[in-house]
Parts: sequence; C-alpha cells; structure tokens
Amino acid sequence: MRLRKRMLNDLEQDIRDHIEHETQDNIDRGMSPEQARYAALRKFGNVTRIQEQTREVWSVLWLEQLLQDVRFGVRTLFRSPGLTIAAVLAIALGIGINVGVFSVLNGAALRLLPVPNAKQLVSVNQIFRGNSPRNVHGEGSMFSYAEYLDYRDHAHVFSGLAAYEPFAEATLSGNSIQQLLGTLVSCNYFDVLNEHPAQGRGFLDSDCAASGENSVVVISDSLWKSRFAADPALVGKSITLNRTAYTVVGIASPGFTGTEPIPGEFWAPVTMDKAFESGRDRLADDNMSWLSLLGRTPPGISMDQIRADLAVIAARIDKLHPGRTTSLSIRTATFFNSPDERSFLIPVASVILAAFALVLLIACANVANLLLARASVRGREIALRLSIGASRGRLVRQLLTESLLLSLAGGILGSLIAFWSTVKITQFVTAHLPHGFPTFTVNVAPNMPVLFYALLLTLVTGFAFGLVPALQSSRLDLNSILKGEGSHSGSGKRSGRLLLNTLVGSQVAVCMVLLLAAGLLLRGLYYAQTVNPGFDEKNMAQAFFDLSSQGYDEAHATAFVQRLRERIQALPGVVAVAQAECAPLSHDFSAGTFAVSGRPDKVSVEYNHVSSEFFSVVGIPIVRGRSFAPGETRDFPGIIVTESTAQQLWPNQDPLGKTLREDSGRQDFVVGVAKDAQISHLGERTTTYLYFPGPSDDGRTYLLVRYATTFTAIADGIRKASQSIDHDISVDPIPFEDNLEIWRAPSRVAAALAGALGALALLLASIGVYGMVSYSVSRCVREIGIRMALGANSGNVVRLVLWQAMRPVLIGVLAGIALCAGVSQVLSSMLFGVSAHDPIAFIAVPIFLLSIALIASYIPARRAMQVDPIVALRCE
Amino acid sequence: MSTRDQDERIELLQGTLDLLILRTLQLGPMHGHAIAKAIEFRSDDVLQVEQGSLYPALHRLIKRSWISAEEGTSENNRRAKFYRLTAKGRKQLAVETNKWDALAGAIARILRPSGQEGES
Repeated sequence: MRLRKRMLNDLEQDIRDHIEHETQDNIDRGMSPEQARYAALRKFGNVTRIQEQTREVWSVLWLEQLLQDVRFGVRTLFRSPGLTIAAVLAIALGIGINVGVFSVLNGAALRLLPVPNAKQLVSVNQIFRGNSPRNVHGEGSMFSYAEYLDYRDHAHVFSGLAAYEPFAEATLSGNSIQQLLGTLVSCNYFDVLNEHPAQGRGFLDSDCAASGENSVVVISDSLWKSRFAADPALVGKSITLNRTAYTVVGIASPGFTGTEPIPGEFWAPVTMDKAFESGRDRLADDNMSWLSLLGRTPPGISMDQIRADLAVIAARIDKLHPGRTTSLSIRTATFFNSPDERSFLIPVASVILAAFALVLLIACANVANLLLARASVRGREIALRLSIGASRGRLVRQLLTESLLLSLAGGILGSLIAFWSTVKITQFVTAHLPHGFPTFTVNVAPNMPVLFYALLLTLVTGFAFGLVPALQSSRLDLNSILKGEGSHSGSGKRSGRLLLNTLVGSQVAVCMVLLLAAGLLLRGLYYAQTVNPGFDEKNMAQAFFDLSSQGYDEAHATAFVQRLRERIQALPGVVAVAQAECAPLSHDFSAGTFAVSGRPDKVSVEYNHVSSEFFSVVGIPIVRGRSFAPGETRDFPGIIVTESTAQQLWPNQDPLGKTLREDSGRQDFVVGVAKDAQISHLGERTTTYLYFPGPSDDGRTYLLVRYATTFTAIADGIRKASQSIDHDISVDPIPFEDNLEIWRAPSRVAAALAGALGALALLLASIGVYGMVSYSVSRCVREIGIRMALGANSGNVVRLVLWQAMRPVLIGVLAGIALCAGVSQVLSSMLFGVSAHDPIAFIAVPIFLLSIALIASYIPARRAMQVDPIVALRCE
Repeated sequence: MSTRDQDERIELLQGTLDLLILRTLQLGPMHGHAIAKAIEFRSDDVLQVEQGSLYPALHRLIKRSWISAEEGTSENNRRAKFYRLTAKGRKQLAVETNKWDALAGAIARILRPSGQEGES
C-alpha cells in the first residue's frame, strides 16, 4: 500500500518529464517551442485519463465494488421507505430483545468481579464423591476453615488466597434497629481482591490471630451514608452488631458490595464467627462446608498449573476422610461460581436465550418474506442486470449488502434501545421484588462481550434473512420476466412458493412453542393462586426471630418467646398464636433420617417442631389420634405424621403407636395423624413429613398469629410487644400469604415473559401470514380471474386462497405442539402440579393461534373475492 | 456496442506492449520517454506507441514486480525515474518471448500455408 502511494505521487512528475523530453526532441527536430509542446501532448494522449488508468492498476477492486454496493443499497432502501422501516423495526425488535437478555445474563454470570485485575482471580470449589458425611452450612462445595488454611499455606500458585462466609446476618443497634447482611472474611480478603477501603484500612493479619477477640469491622459506603450520615470521623468509633461492640476500621470504596450477587453491608474477620453463629463452632469443625475461596494468581500461571498444584493438597486431605474423593472445580471468578449455582443457572439461561432467539428467528423470517415479496417486484431489474452480463455472484453480493445494511440499521437501533431499557427494567424489577426476596445487584451495562454479541447477532441475522431471498431471486427465467409475464405467473413457481410456506410454517411453529409455554405457565399460576394448600393462609401474620444470634441462650430464648406470646395474645383482635421451627412455605426446611421398625433401610423425612396450637392456628386438621398437649415440649417422645407418610411407612396398618428411631437412638411414637398439606413446596404434597412437639433448640423460631383485624394493626402490635421486652431485637412481621407469593413470583415472571414473547411472536407471525396471503393473492390475480370467468363464485375462490394459506400454518402448529411437548418438562418446577402436557393448554392455545392465523389470512383473502375477472384478464 | 471490441484491442496491445517494455529494459535501466523512443526507433518507427498507455503498463509491471523503479539522473542532468528489469522480469521475458514466437509462428503458418495445402 505504501508502495502504491509513492508510485502514484511520482506519476504526475513522471508524465511531465516525459512530455518535456518529447517537446525537447521536437524542438531539436526544428519545431517552434509552442508547436513542439502541442505535438508532444497530442502524441501522449489524454493526461487525466492516463493517470486514471494508471491508478486503476493499483486500486483494490472488491473494496470499490463494496462501496458501490453500499451506495446502491442505501439508494434502493430509501426508494421504498415503508418496507425499509418495517424491516428495520422487525430486526430491531428481534435483536434488541436478544441483546437485552444477553446483557442481563452477562451481568449475572459472565461479568468478572468488579475489582482491579479481576482476570487473575479464580474461585475454587470442591466436588465430593464417595460416601462420607459432611456438615454443610451454605453450599456443599464450600470449604472448612482448616481446609482453607491448608490450601492457603501449601498452594504455590497463588499470590494470595482468601476465604469468606457470604451470608452473615447481624442486628445493628443504636438509635434504631437494623438487620444487616454482611460477609465474614479472612484477613487477607481486601488484599487479595486488591480492593482497599476508601477510608481507614482493611484487615491486618493480627485481626485474625485469635478466635473471637478482634471485633473490628469494615462497613460499606452505602451503609456509611444511609445510617451514619457519611460521618467523616466514623473510622475509629465503635458500632454495635449483635450486642457486641465493633470498632469501625474502614469504609469500603463506593460501589464495592463484596463478591456475591447479594450486596454485603459489612465485613468482619472470619475469626469473629461465633458472634454471628452462636451455638456452633464452625471454625473448629474441620468437616464443615461454609467458606468460599478466591485466589489471586500471579501472571503467567495457567489453569492447568493451578489444578495440578491444588489437586495434590486435595488428595492429601482426602486421606483423612476414608471413602471420599474430592475433585476441584476451578474457574475465573464471577458472581456465580459454585457448581450448584451454575448447574441451575446455565440450563435456565439457555432456555431463556433460546426463547428469545426464537423471536428473533420469527423477525428474520418476516423480513425474508418481505424481501422475497419485493424480489418478485424487482424481478425485472434483476433480470435486466443479469442479461447485460452481471454475474450471479455479483448480484447475490449486491442483494446481501442490502440485507446487511438493513440488519446493521436494525441491530444498532435495537441494541441502543436494549442498552437503555435493560438498565431501566432491571432497576424497576429489583425495586418491585416481593417481600422476602433477597435484593441483588446485576450490572447490566454493556461491555465488550455484550457489544460483540450484538454485532455477531446482527451479522448472522443479515446473512440469515438475506441469503435465501438473494439466491432465490437471482435465479430467474430471464425470458419470461423480460417479456412481462413474470409478475403474473408466480403461482407456477413451485420452489418460491415452497420457500414462502416453509418460512411461514416455521414462524407459526416457533410462535406455537412460546404461546404454549405461556399457556402452561398461566395454568400453573392460576392453579397456584387458587390451590388449597391444605391450610388457611388468610388473616395470619408471621414473625421470625433468630435469638441465638442476638446472644440469647436457650433458657433466655424460651423465656423471651413465652413473654412475647403472652403479650401478642393479649393484643386486641388476636385469635391465637402458634410457634413453629419452620413456617409453612417459608423456604426453611429441616430433614433427617429415621429407622422404621420392620424396615431394613432408613427413610428420609422432613420435619418441623411445632407448638400445640399449631394445627388449629394454621388450620391443618388432625384426622386420627390427637394433637400435642400444651405441656408437651421437645422432651416428649410423641410425633404427629401426615396421612401420606403413614400410608407410605405403614401401609394398611393403624399408624397410632408405631415408632420411629432417630439417628441419636431416641424412639418416638406416633400420637396423631395430620391431614396432608403443602408445607414445604407449593403445589407438592411432601410425601414424608412429621411434626415434633415444642420449639427447636437453635433459637430460630416463627410466631404465627391468627387475627381478626387488619394486618397493619397486628404487625404494629407485634413490633411494640417485642421491643417492650427487648429494645435490641429486630422483628419484621409479614403477612403469611407473602410466603405463597414468593413461590408464585418466579412463575409469574416466567409467565409474563413467555406471554409477552408469545404475544410478540404472534404479532410477527400474523404479519407474516398476512404478508404471505396478500402476496400470493396479488400474484394469482390472473388465475382467480380465469376461475371466476369460468363460473367460480367468490366463496370458492376465498376457500381456495384460505386453504392454500392455512396449510403451512397447520403444519407449523403441529410442529410447534410436538416441539413444545418435547421440552415443556423444563417448566415443571414452575407449574405447581399442573402436568407439563396439560390438555387444556395444549388444546386451547392451538385453537387460539389458528383463529388468529385465519383472521390474518382472511383479511387479504377478501381481496381475491373482489377481483373483477374483466379487469384481471384485460391487464394482460 | 463497440466497448467490447475496444476492450479486446487494448487487451492485445497491452500484452504486446508489456513484452516490448521488458525486452527494451533488457538493454539497461531507462526512463519512460527513453523507453517509448527506443521502441519506436528499434521498430523502424513501424510501431507507434501511444505514449500515454506506456504508464499504466509500467505500473502494471511494477505491481507484478517484473520491473522496479528508482530515482536517477537523465542524460541532460535532470532528475528522472528509471525503470529496471528485475530477475523475475528477466525470467518472464524469456517465457513471453517463447510464447510470442509460438504465436507468431502459428499465425504465420495459417496466413502463408506451405506447399501441400495450396497445391491440393
């Protein structure tokens, strides 16, 4: 290229020299200078044209042709603005939706942690195989403290390895009570992340030197601003968490909320664990999963090196636990690292992306349809160009350039809208989550992967919808078209028709899948709204207390709850108060294994500790035997089982008096049988479930208050009653129905999503059907004219047109039903017991879709009716 | 239209002109005007080079690296660009010369058939 430039620069000089030489020669031959110059110029020829020709030698042909194509494409697109706008909007819609979804997924699962050099951070998780018991507090793939220390001290591949317990709850007291979520971290946490607090300091090694002695804390910027009014002198002062005074040593930099999707508000040394989880000594339990690990690798260390190095340590630890083998899952750290989370996230994400890609597909098919229809109108132009010698490849390239221009315009528009709207939508959604849903942060702002995805999608779209029509329309029968017959003999072209039908059929199929999914989810949601969970969820308030983290021992906790219950009971409008270890549908579960007399294996049973009033307050009838008596507490060896549990453990026998043996050896005998209820999962009757008497021993307890007044009055009363006993206890009563709402929320979101997508798909597909029918009617005008001239009435004609239109629609519907039936099992967890092949949805939705398609094709089909045979035939 | 005819004629001329330029440069480096002069002179003025078409041809040969261009001083002490045959161009000249000989021979055989055909 440089050579080219130099050559061209010298050219002018070169030519001037040449002409001067020639002039000189002519003068030597005896001409006058003027004559000599003219003669030389004549002999040389047209200087400008010569320069141009020389330049051509160096020019890059394909680039110039591309520019030519682009210019021509832009002109063509501007010439039919209606079509261009329709196509651009359809593509913008499809690409916008996909880019929006991708940026959410990217923010959740692909984005690196927001710390300096995040690429160097890896997360480590353990996957256990073999039969070795392990205590889990969090996720099974986490580490114990001893394991962490082992990896930290013996790994050679890290410049630092940090551990943290992501969810430590604490009550911040002071002028008012506030419940906080924080993180317990190893003291190198901030150093490993290279994320140093904006004020004060992070933790020092000495902060973690001794267990339970260094009560220091780093708080988040948002807490500092909201709770402490951005007090510039806060560092060094002390705050009270869980009744313990902590010295604030640092304030995190603005925007840093930790390394989990749910933002943390404070960080405390992991060695302070006992102040947050009293009753357990997690630091000393070498076999407990509770810590997440993040390591920073120096540059130049490969994943394989890390794996090899850590595997040695894992194998050594395995020797201490016979029968267990550990494999390590090591990956560049994001907000979602654990194998459990990823095995959930990835299938969900792919289903969502696939659904959105389907909508894009419909948009593509529509645009392809429009282009096809236009190609037939442009047939003459294309035929002319072919006949004067344009190669087919050149024409296809020209047409593809046009479709890429369209997709670029659509892609840019769609992406811009998506970038703007996803931020807004995410803000809206996170601000309107149901009570009890954890708040989480997703950074959905576009970054390189999102931009790359948008570009890729745009290009693929341009090719996808452009290639087929381009190939199709450049293969023409030149003769007939140039003679003017082409625009009317379309009905004879089988391949073009087949292509149109395939496009429409696949649109309908895709639309069918989305609508069916929406239909199933709506059915599930309706069921979840109207289902009788087996108890009475109305007019009940729920309040949760975690007294052990408030420094209460068991005796104090029992006394506190007893006094609180008395005071609540005395509130006006309270009918009854009950106490339970797990409130129904509260996402709190306990399960254990029990030996049943007469059975060789142990059975796994979910259980609950409830007070004697529980059954009457919640509204679960006792069908045999009796409920617990008021005096019967945890020491009483009686249990109440559910009907289906009794049926399963002791089929066709009287369950009363039968015994179960706990792992501890304690024997319990059945005193009563309660009716089945959806205690732990909405829409599922837990098959094995039993109730123990009395409150549990860990200080975690739910109070369930049935009332006859309004919720706000009762909630207020509960709050006041609690604070009158202990000012520092935080309590947040919620309507009991909210528990059900949390179960319904995901399916509500999914149904709204599938419904919105389905509606979009329906709109696009009906435009497609409409377009196809009006196109084929316009091309069959002569055929229709002949038929009518021969005596067909308008009814016959409309039936013919409709039948031709509905055939691909029917095939599409059937394909869509088959496809959806194949994949609808994915939704089963959100259907609350409605079958994934629910007949009502599978019949109603296709009928709905078919009627829409019928309407969409009837409107243009009426035009066929109005064809005047005289006009149609005279047109020739 | 005559576009195509013209195209073909240029095509023919170009090929020949390239060969003539290569052959001329075999004598040594020359500037553009000298090349044109040499061709005219050596063909006894039978071949009138349309001098303008010389430059596109020269650039085409440079692009194929059969010749190279360098700055130099012309006989009357002026700066001028000199074109020189490259090793690749020398090889190409041999190939083109053979081709031309074959072509000229073949055409000659057709235009002036030897004895047998005329007699029979």
